[in-house]
Amino acid sequence: MTDAKTQIDDTVKSNDVVLFMKGTKSMPQCGFSSRVAGVLSYMGVEFTDVNVLSDDAIRQGVKDYSDWPTIPQLYVKGEFVGGCDIITEMTLSGELDKLFETQGVGYDKAAAEKIREANA
Amino acid sequence: MNAHLFSTRAGHFSLLCVRTKCNLTPEAEKLLHIEDEIRDRLEHAFAPRLLEVTDDSERHRGHAGWREGGQTHFNVMIRAEAFKGMTRLARHRAVHAALTPALVARIHALALDIDV
Repeated sequence: MTDAKTQIDDTVKSNDVVLFMKGTKSMPQCGFSSRVAGVLSYMGVEFTDVNVLSDDAIRQGVKDYSDWPTIPQLYVKGEFVGGCDIITEMTLSGELDKLFETQGVGYDKAAAEKIREANA
Repeated sequence: MNAHLFSTRAGHFSLLCVRTKCNLTPEAEKLLHIEDEIRDRLEHAFAPRLLEVTDDSERHRGHAGWREGGQTHFNVMIRAEAFKGMTRLARHRAVHAALTPALVARIHALALDIDV
């Protein structure tokens, strides 16, 4: 593996929830990254944010790692879950709640329900 | 190439097949409308019963990746039997593959709404 791939592999395997995004969770630099980071934060999920804009090798490397062409990318327990569209759909359908429950990731169920109510 | 540009939308299907067989220069490729190319490739790959491709670039005016003239941000809504039994990830991967990495690389943002 290249250095970037090793670094990505280590990051997603040593942290329960990792979001590769443009910008940071406190200062997102792209609407799609902002939406996913916002959902996770609102749901009270503890996650590691990796700003791909600060490292070109990681920016390209994460696309190769998951064979997925876009950012943001969410990983839970080392597994790639999806990008902005998939996370949005899973949030609204409740599948994201189920994923967190089966993976033992803490989240605020009431907050998730609030998101669904607001977007019904 | 000329035939493609002057064709009606209904004629795109067969013309795409012709187009992919000939070697267009990169410059000529750029002249093709990305929106039409997305539509052509998805129709060809999935025979959708519903397909809407929208250039959403204007809504992202001034954002990263945006450029004058649009064709940077697209929304795709597709409904096709071909996606039956596929996971969300598999559906998205199938669409990415159909669009080809070269085309995806030319688009800054692609929002996909995929279902059967």
